[in-house]
Amino acid sequence: MKILVVEDEQKTARYLKKGLSEAGFVVDVAADGRQALHIAMELPFDLIILDIMLPGLDGWQVLSRLREAGQQTPVLFLTARDAVPDRVKGFQLGADDYLVKPFAFSELLARVRSLVRRVPARQDDVVRVGDLEIDVIRHRATRANHRLDLTAKEFLLLSLLARRAGEVLSRTLIAETVWDMNFDSDTNVVDVNVRRLRSKVDDPFDRKLIRTVRGVGYVIEVDG
Amino acid sequence: MLSRSTDKASRRFYGWRGSSLSFRLTAWYTGAAFFLIVVATGILYVALSANLDRNTDLFLSDKVHVVAALLRDRPDDWSGLREEVELESAARRYENFYIRLLDQRGTARLATPGMDSELPPARFSVSLGRPFPLRSQNRRAFRALVERVEVGSVPTATWTMQVAVDLTQEDDLLARYRAWLWSILAIALVSCPLIGYQIARHGIHFVRDVTETARRIGSTTLNERIQPEGYPDELADLARTFNGMLDRLEEAFGRLSRFSADIAHELRTPVNNIRGEAEVALARARSVEEYREVVGSCLEEAVRLSELIGSLLFLARTENPATHIKRERVDLPELLNGVRDYYEGSAAENGISFSVNCTESSTTNADRALLQRAVANLVSNAIANTPAGGSIALSAHADPVQVRIEVADTGVGISAQDLPNVLDRFYRVDPARSQASGGTGLGLAIVKGIMNLHGGRVEIASTLGEGTSAVLVIPNQATR
Repeated sequence: MKILVVEDEQKTARYLKKGLSEAGFVVDVAADGRQALHIAMELPFDLIILDIMLPGLDGWQVLSRLREAGQQTPVLFLTARDAVPDRVKGFQLGADDYLVKPFAFSELLARVRSLVRRVPARQDDVVRVGDLEIDVIRHRATRANHRLDLTAKEFLLLSLLARRAGEVLSRTLIAETVWDMNFDSDTNVVDVNVRRLRSKVDDPFDRKLIRTVRGVGYVIEVDG
Repeated sequence: MLSRSTDKASRRFYGWRGSSLSFRLTAWYTGAAFFLIVVATGILYVALSANLDRNTDLFLSDKVHVVAALLRDRPDDWSGLREEVELESAARRYENFYIRLLDQRGTARLATPGMDSELPPARFSVSLGRPFPLRSQNRRAFRALVERVEVGSVPTATWTMQVAVDLTQEDDLLARYRAWLWSILAIALVSCPLIGYQIARHGIHFVRDVTETARRIGSTTLNERIQPEGYPDELADLARTFNGMLDRLEEAFGRLSRFSADIAHELRTPVNNIRGEAEVALARARSVEEYREVVGSCLEEAVRLSELIGSLLFLARTENPATHIKRERVDLPELLNGVRDYYEGSAAENGISFSVNCTESSTTNADRALLQRAVANLVSNAIANTPAGGSIALSAHADPVQVRIEVADTGVGISAQDLPNVLDRFYRVDPARSQASGGTGLGLAIVKGIMNLHGGRVEIASTLGEGTSAVLVIPNQATR
């Protein structure tokens, strides 16, 4: 999977390259619009991560020229501008997603994965993580064959984590998906809910499955 | 049609739009005063001349009566008659008058001397009993009367009597009077504008005071005020309005500068933490565990900064009047239960019971995400301020006029002096406690901003030690 990162801010470009590489992607970096356009025309990429404020050509111009040339590579915009008209403009030009700085890297990673794969996370009826088994259809979760007594929301939360096992999910994403809470602040409530879930899923057992990734969010994985 | 002509008239009326107020007032004063003077003098003149005419007419009929009485009662007293006709006139200094008696054949039997040359009999009209103006041979003005008189107590003949009064005196009087009037008008023409201008200037100087004050005011001198004492009512009202505006401006400016300071302070703490921790960590070699700890801590601070920035930008958007919200039908029970689901765990951990009371299928027209955020912020606040054993009640009530969503807690409450400020950005009732709980101090300001966008308001009532009730009031109107 090849990703082109177009970002003139060196530090940003560096950590994006590092993070994405470690997540298993091959990353090229372009520092201005003209260079980006040139590279994107010459080489095949699975995704372009495009900053809007760029020297030379700005992100919008790069995108529109790419689309004019018939390039359909998915594009994810990164921007410090949070105005709705900017967003609309980006989508009209053919951007596939839009992320406002400052953002959580885990959030970026999640979006990159969904853009590159274009397939939803595991949709099996039964999800297994270690000795945890979740039967989505029958709304039942068991661990080591012990039935877990979960509320509806706790079940949803556990399913979300298990379906994307190994992937760190941000508090914002969790609040959005499980409780339909569409705002960034007050996410410490998620901590409380995860703590309560843990008391049922992890506390009675020696092996802990749910792990806190400090400052980022939560992940469920077998060898925590 | 009508409106257009009115419009044209008003444009003509205000044609001197560019000219100064004192000029306009002066013109109005002058016009009005001059008009009054002209009317008053005119009326006086007309009244005087009418009065003079009346006196003359009375005199004429008196004369007729005297002579008629003589002729009737003593037709033979020729000398008495002659005296009355010929000498009486000569004895009078001011009013020359003439009397002539004609017999039934039209022959003059008796006449005041000089009358024939001045006023020959043919000059008199034949209409009887009514005084009329008459010009003599010398073009002098007279007023005359012709009357039939009987001779003898048992009438033997009917004579004609012609009486005329010289009006020269009256005309002179009226002429002098006219001269006076013209000079009064001339004086008025000069003095009215001068006096009017003085009055206007006096009236306007208050306005100039206001202007002067307004000119002096800058961002650093917002404490200046106009002293409205001694002002006329209308201008005192203007001055008070102006002062009120200054109060609000000063208040807003104060808030703004406090707000800037608050932002700087809020940014300073996390930035300082990041900087300090990184610096200390790099000062010497450390274990991987220690580095991990430092990076994690820095990340937490960065997240805090991100949330602060997000909230500030959000607030700025709610205060921008151009911001549009996406209204849709919002199912209130669903919204409230959603918020309850999210916060239930938190409440339970803090030993707080949590109830939702909402009429089935009540709805409102609002931006769902924003309304949810407002309710959630209130609930979050309630949980932070309610001790264990307390309760939080979330309820909604919809009527045709408005929707009221209430978050009531049995918490610590807010004191009366804090109450007006709790909706301000960064306002914290107890700085130490709130800082520890991780709030940004923007939650209620955001609630207020969201309600502003909906054309609604936030009502907060509280009793210290008993609890707080916060109500979101959203007017029921499709668009605003």
